[in-house]
Amino acid sequence: MLNVSNLITEFASIKALNDISFQAKPGCITTVIGANGAGKSTLLRTISGLERPTSGSIKWLDQELTNKSVESIVRSGIAQVPEGHAVISQLSVAENIELGGLFRKRKARGDLEVATKEVYELFPILYERRREPAGSLSGGERQMLAISRALVSRPKLLLLDEPSLGLAPLISAQIISIVNELCRNTGLTVLLVEQNANTALAVADHGILLALGKVVANLPAKELIADSSLRAAYLGY
Amino acid sequence: MDSFLTAFFSGTSQGAIYALVSLGLVLVWRGAGVVNFAQMGQAMFTTYIASQLIQNNYSYWSAFVIALISGAILGAIVDLGLMRPLTSRKNSQLLNSQSMRTTIPVIASLGILGVLKSLAGIFWAGEERGFPTPVPANSIKIGSTNLAITGFDLFVIGVVFITLVLTTIFFTKTGMGLAMRASALNPEVTRLSGIKVGSVRTLGWAISGTASSLAGLLITPKTNLSPNTLDLLLIVGFTAAVVGGLTSLAGSVLGGFIVGYVIAFVNVYGAPENVFIAILVFLLLALFIRPQGILGSKEVRRV
Repeated sequence: MLNVSNLITEFASIKALNDISFQAKPGCITTVIGANGAGKSTLLRTISGLERPTSGSIKWLDQELTNKSVESIVRSGIAQVPEGHAVISQLSVAENIELGGLFRKRKARGDLEVATKEVYELFPILYERRREPAGSLSGGERQMLAISRALVSRPKLLLLDEPSLGLAPLISAQIISIVNELCRNTGLTVLLVEQNANTALAVADHGILLALGKVVANLPAKELIADSSLRAAYLGY
Repeated sequence: MDSFLTAFFSGTSQGAIYALVSLGLVLVWRGAGVVNFAQMGQAMFTTYIASQLIQNNYSYWSAFVIALISGAILGAIVDLGLMRPLTSRKNSQLLNSQSMRTTIPVIASLGILGVLKSLAGIFWAGEERGFPTPVPANSIKIGSTNLAITGFDLFVIGVVFITLVLTTIFFTKTGMGLAMRASALNPEVTRLSGIKVGSVRTLGWAISGTASSLAGLLITPKTNLSPNTLDLLLIVGFTAAVVGGLTSLAGSVLGGFIVGYVIAFVNVYGAPENVFIAILVFLLLALFIRPQGILGSKEVRRV
């Protein structure tokens, strides 16, 4: 269970996150939606330790995360797939995947091989192109690679930052449905940030609507889809 | 033909040393974004340590190994003791601008250079002294003809070759090597992969320190050792790094050899007093013709 309470993150005294509280239930997809600048990315970056909150708490499996380093947060089972298909373009596809599991190479070499095989089975195109530099991949393939890099660390909580951004609808649907399957089949907890609210809410169990750094709705996904007045007010359609 | 061979062999052995210096500079530049002006100061200091040990009747080889280890330690100390605290103070007003964040470590490295030079002056009175070679520095003879290469030249080329092979294996075949390349290319994604980028960076400083310490040990038998003798080597090494492309490790080594040949041929066919000018002309030419360096990549920004 991820438990965020009263979280405030400031950038030069502007509150990007203003008193955010919510929970992400284990084995479920919780999606965070909202317009540009609502604080969605800041929320994920604060959870993964890339940004330091001014106050508030983030608890994961009863451990406080707000005073931990990025590396130790990753090592406690939280993997972030950052915005913009973040892979290292000069490294090969295989090296990008290896990087994700590097920190547990000494302790869990065997499982690392299994995990690597699994992501190649999940995304066969990456296996075909494993020796090519990641920069030569298409946008969708790079997103698959970024997800694979996160998966080989065997996360219990996956933070996805706008995985469909800049992708063709068909490919973004494919990626979302793979994330959905992962969650249902392996019990992975997913926190999915999306601007594309419909796609995200279609697979999510729970939806959180952010506006200007505040939670304006925290509802089961089905209810959030149905609430046309909320959509009209905050998402503009 | 004789003078050509002389220039070729001297270019190869000198170029090998420049390659080490250039490699050390590029490692720190890529890993930490710092042009380390203290690098040859560190090398000078560790070579003095070796020289002191040899004076105290230690063998050449034990002094050699201790100097390399001191080089690694000194590199790590510079990062942990100075660079890291200087750049991690987020709330300091001065560090708010990107340009200051990149300038301050460079100025700090100049400060370290000054401190190391003064310390060498205090400990070893700053006197110029020779430095021994492990093998005879005479020309190699086959029958009665003198070859244009000395035993020590061959030693230098051999040691650098082994170093470069080990470095290549480290960077391409080991997990730590991958972590170092990744940290240099994209620190954020690397941290999100659970890798301690700070420690990896310190390791880069240590390896750079070892490489420059080795360069110091290999060059001082020819130049003698004083607090200032290695200054020129930094300029040559920097030229090599720029020619090679600053961001490419292979390029930095290639640049080292190219600059070595340029210097050797100017020395043999031109006049030794023109060497310094030749280096600068060569640097300018290289910048005009191929500003990104031989193996450097142009910065590409995807939007």
